Amino acid sequence: MISDTGSGLSHFEMELQLKAQELVSVLNEGKLSDAMEIIRELHEFRHQTFFSEVGHLTRGLHEAIKSFSSELGRSLDVDGTPQTETDAAERLNYVIEMTEKNAHETMDRVDRALTFVDKLDKQSERFKDLLLLVGQLEKEHDSLNGVYDRTCALKEESEQTISTLREELTDIVVSQSYQDITGQLIRRVINLVTNVEDHLVALMGMAAQVERISGVEMSAESEDEQTNNKNPIQAEGPQIKKERADVVSDQDEVDDLLSSLGF
Amino acid sequence: MNKDMKILVVDDFSTMRRIIKNLLRDLGMTNVLEADDGQTALPILKQGGIDFLVTDWNMPGMTGIDLLKEVRSDPNLAAMPVLMVTAEAKKEQIIAAAQAGVNGYVVKPFTAAVLKEKIDKIFQRLG
Repeated sequence: MISDTGSGLSHFEMELQLKAQELVSVLNEGKLSDAMEIIRELHEFRHQTFFSEVGHLTRGLHEAIKSFSSELGRSLDVDGTPQTETDAAERLNYVIEMTEKNAHETMDRVDRALTFVDKLDKQSERFKDLLLLVGQLEKEHDSLNGVYDRTCALKEESEQTISTLREELTDIVVSQSYQDITGQLIRRVINLVTNVEDHLVALMGMAAQVERISGVEMSAESEDEQTNNKNPIQAEGPQIKKERADVVSDQDEVDDLLSSLGF
Repeated sequence: MNKDMKILVVDDFSTMRRIIKNLLRDLGMTNVLEADDGQTALPILKQGGIDFLVTDWNMPGMTGIDLLKEVRSDPNLAAMPVLMVTAEAKKEQIIAAAQAGVNGYVVKPFTAAVLKEKIDKIFQRLG
């Protein structure tokens, strides 16, 4: 009887040498039927070894996929049934939504600021009328000498500032294009993640079948470990599902919770 | 350049549509329509009345380059000036856009000055 081969291929080589020596010795003794039996055993041995190795390899793959998919936030069923959207893709979509919302809010503020700049422009026009009056008065009163020129210079300076302010505000609007650029990059990553997942699902299905055939079972224990072992206070970053019962939705809820704890 | 001309801005990101709209407003052009990809843009173009098309390249549905090809192959639209404003920056892509008949090509992110300059240039050339 050939012993368990699960320990690896080095064991296979050792057994092979032993069997080969045995084969030579029975052939030397002329026991042909014994020799045939050894050859048959060798055949079966080779078959079993590879089968078992494939089984172990598959199991390793299965475990790796499982832990990876739990990172991605999608549990892959053993039979390879995919679920709709993963946490990973969802989180990335949330980034796009969030930056879009904020970019628009920034532009709303800039638009409001620009209406004030328009107002300043109009005030500057009205200032011109007043200046003409100062010009008239200057001729009549010596004490006003030079006031017209100085006020004109100030008006020009102020108009220059308004124009610079307008340019700066426009640049703020243009710089919101980061949202488009980053959004496009994130969409590519979402596609990539989704692709990887689809391939993993397929591999998972194959792995499950090979495991069944080769008789290497996934222990139920190791699966439970994966789902239950997650540390409840492990950092998760921003929560995108605020309606979740185990997540606070705003600062008020934080304060309520803390005050219920006696803070 | 006619300030009253009707402009269609096509981009799948609302942020970018708004940026371009704002810059066009600074140039005195306020008659602006929006579409979020080639598929929604094309019927608007075919309805007529659009004088200038500003489009992104990378969009779901129909891309900007396909939209450009559609425009050039439609006898009613073929002469329309088209400015591409896109993050696609490969030389091959820029050449392809030029071969498809684009009038200007601005790579994102861009500055207000660059966009204005390219728009001015397009209409200077067209006279």
